[in-house]
Amino acid sequence: MTDVAKTHANSTLQDRLVLGLVKFFRAEWSGAFLAILILGIAIELATSGRPFFHPSNLMTILNNSAAIGIVAGGMTLVIITAGIDLSVGSVMGMTAALTGYVASFWGFPPYLAIMTGLGIGLAIGAFNGSLVAYFGMPAFIVTLAGLSIWRGTGHLSTGAQATPKLPDTFDMFGRYNPFAGLRNAYKEGELSGFWESVGGFVDDNWINFFRTFQMSMLIFIGFFIVLTIIISNTRYGRWVYAIGSNEPGARQAGINTPRYTLLTYMFCSFSAALGALLFLGRAPYAKSDYGQMWELDAIAAVVIGGTSLFGGRGSLWGTFMGVILLKLINNGLTLAQLDTFWQMVVTGLIILVAVGLDIVRQSKNPESVRKLLGAIAAVMAFLALMTPGAIYLRAKIALLEHGAATTLREAGTSLAAGQNARLLSPDEITQFQSAASANLGATLLLLVLVLATAFVVLKTSRLISFGLAAVFIAMILPVSLMGYEITAPFLVLGAAALLGSAYVHALFAKARTLDVNAR
Amino acid sequence: MPSFGCTAISGRNKTVKMKMTFAGVAVAALLAGSAASAQDVIGYITKSATNAGWMMINQGAADAAAEEGVNLVSVGPAFQGDLSSQLEVFENLVAQGAAAIAVAPVDSAGIAPAVNDAMSAGIPVVAVDTGVAGADVTSFVATDNYAVAKVQGAVAATLVEDGQAIIYVTGNQAQSTGQERRNGFIEAFSAARPNSEILEVPTEWNSQEAQEGVEAILNSRQDIAMVANAWDGGTMGAKAALENLGFGAGDVKLVGFDGAGDAIAAMDDGWVHANTAQMLYQMGYQGIKAAAAAARGEDVSPRIDTGFFLVTPMTSGTYKEMVGIE
Repeated sequence: MTDVAKTHANSTLQDRLVLGLVKFFRAEWSGAFLAILILGIAIELATSGRPFFHPSNLMTILNNSAAIGIVAGGMTLVIITAGIDLSVGSVMGMTAALTGYVASFWGFPPYLAIMTGLGIGLAIGAFNGSLVAYFGMPAFIVTLAGLSIWRGTGHLSTGAQATPKLPDTFDMFGRYNPFAGLRNAYKEGELSGFWESVGGFVDDNWINFFRTFQMSMLIFIGFFIVLTIIISNTRYGRWVYAIGSNEPGARQAGINTPRYTLLTYMFCSFSAALGALLFLGRAPYAKSDYGQMWELDAIAAVVIGGTSLFGGRGSLWGTFMGVILLKLINNGLTLAQLDTFWQMVVTGLIILVAVGLDIVRQSKNPESVRKLLGAIAAVMAFLALMTPGAIYLRAKIALLEHGAATTLREAGTSLAAGQNARLLSPDEITQFQSAASANLGATLLLLVLVLATAFVVLKTSRLISFGLAAVFIAMILPVSLMGYEITAPFLVLGAAALLGSAYVHALFAKARTLDVNAR
Repeated sequence: MPSFGCTAISGRNKTVKMKMTFAGVAVAALLAGSAASAQDVIGYITKSATNAGWMMINQGAADAAAEEGVNLVSVGPAFQGDLSSQLEVFENLVAQGAAAIAVAPVDSAGIAPAVNDAMSAGIPVVAVDTGVAGADVTSFVATDNYAVAKVQGAVAATLVEDGQAIIYVTGNQAQSTGQERRNGFIEAFSAARPNSEILEVPTEWNSQEAQEGVEAILNSRQDIAMVANAWDGGTMGAKAALENLGFGAGDVKLVGFDGAGDAIAAMDDGWVHANTAQMLYQMGYQGIKAAAAAARGEDVSPRIDTGFFLVTPMTSGTYKEMVGIE
């Protein structure tokens, strides 16, 4: 009796886990979220000092995501209607410059300058949206023209000059810290009783937490909450999705599609103007060259977040995660002090991975998920391989270049400076030769592992996956003996991915039966 | 990309009339129109018409052209860093028979084939601000970035103790200007302060990247004594990062490069402690002087160094007087 009850309890816990997993992967933002988690762990391992997942570091990322995040929020709606807005970067730059300009040089009080900026955003949106919705011009062309027009207008109207530092009111959109006043009062000794203890708490945890608790972050999160509520609870929200998935159908169903298209473009440009205000709240001055390439970052964030470029499908929280992923890449790679050129390569790769995760997620096909996990194991094996492999390759390439330069010189060609630099001294030659031979063994061993894993991606059984996972773990010992303990985390992660891949089919089958039961 | 900041210089507000165009037709029309006059036509291909620093260089170029009595045809790229429009303008200027061309390449190596064509056609080419890699030019008129960056690094070293960690905000590392400034700074600083850690914030001359990178590092480490910058847009970005985290003037020292107006103002407020200023106006002025001389067939020095000025709180008054900042 008790045994039966226990089995039952176990199975419900397992069922709940499986169902939770299914629910997680149904969410559009899960791809970006997973990429954030994986990248965060990788950076955590690579950096020393304060932990990467420290709240104050996360809040710094949120603060710096705020401006582009709000721009991307507006872009999400346009993309859900199967449109595009390439002008957001220019609109952001122009409204930022003009808002600062009228506040600094025309004597506008800050609130009036802010209204002017937001008004300009709405007007540009009305212009773009009318051309798209009522004149049937392609959104891509209209906003591509806008990209140039509004950037030029921004430069022309402000002479492309920076303003002086803006009034403190603008800090309310950015660096203003709601706790700063309380802390100052505490330091001045103006507090007593309950508030004194609160002030003391804030002051004690200032550097660790409260310093980065700023308006940017609060507005950013608030904006997405409000927008999500609007989109999921109003007719406007439903029409946006309807227009994106089937515009003629939506029109026949009696939806005034031009009006809602116009509204969406107006909202997108308005978001660009609001993003400009958030940016001004943290920037040193206002200038018309702000926001360059933001349209691409915003589109990237939307797509990473699982929104389809063909419209009709997507979510705001996906975009939220996408923006954070993009900023997290910059923040994390800077903290890890990765070489500039590697940062460019790694940024692109992470975007590919995030979108790849999303495509596999949508396929709902256990075989693709298994292949993805196998591919992750192969990448981990490759990273392990490159630890000795990079040293081996660098030595071999140096020797090759020396050989080529020597051949040229012997053929009587006068060498250019760059070629001369490739010539090695006898000492260096022996150094590189010994480096190459010392790393050859480990390189070959790990190369075999990479090839075996790559093969498993294509074709496998559960037994082979288990076996290979065991080989990953077993490999830690020999490579550690060769002096590459650093590869151990890669090998462990690779083994975990392989074990996971062995269970994918069973997990999908289980989820299907549970789904049937639930119905 | 500009080789210095997106920052304001409040002096010299005379605007240079700049033709922002995809080149082609406009240049042809200008050259055709000017062919009637006896004046030599000097082509001037600038990097930017909107950057405050470039406006000063362009002003110098315009003043030199007026003095020399040559007809200056100024063309800016369609957007910052647009190599293809620079190449197109270059070819048009050669085809239309300009007497000499002054160019500020957006890409040192990318402009080289066009420079080679012009030089072999007997048209002198003067490189301004940024050098050309892989082609000879008649003259290269610029600050010696590497030498000035070494001065910047040595002065910065005097502001911190050995062992204190600092941040260096780099410029674009795919450009010679960015590479020379970084290498010069790091060599001189590390020589004087061998135990100090230098954390780098990579940028492509974008003050937003500078602000976010500096903010990330300052937030994760409490031991940063100074932020040195490859250009003053970075200096202003780093200052904004300090303000965002609630630091006051002087809590973390700032060192700039360019001598831009707002960085000098920040020096007067106690934020910036040293700044190596380029002689921006001189760069444009001497560049066009050299181009005009070469067009007349005179000998021109292959390397004209326009020098620099070390601005500190002690010398900032002299500097402001010199470049006309009120």
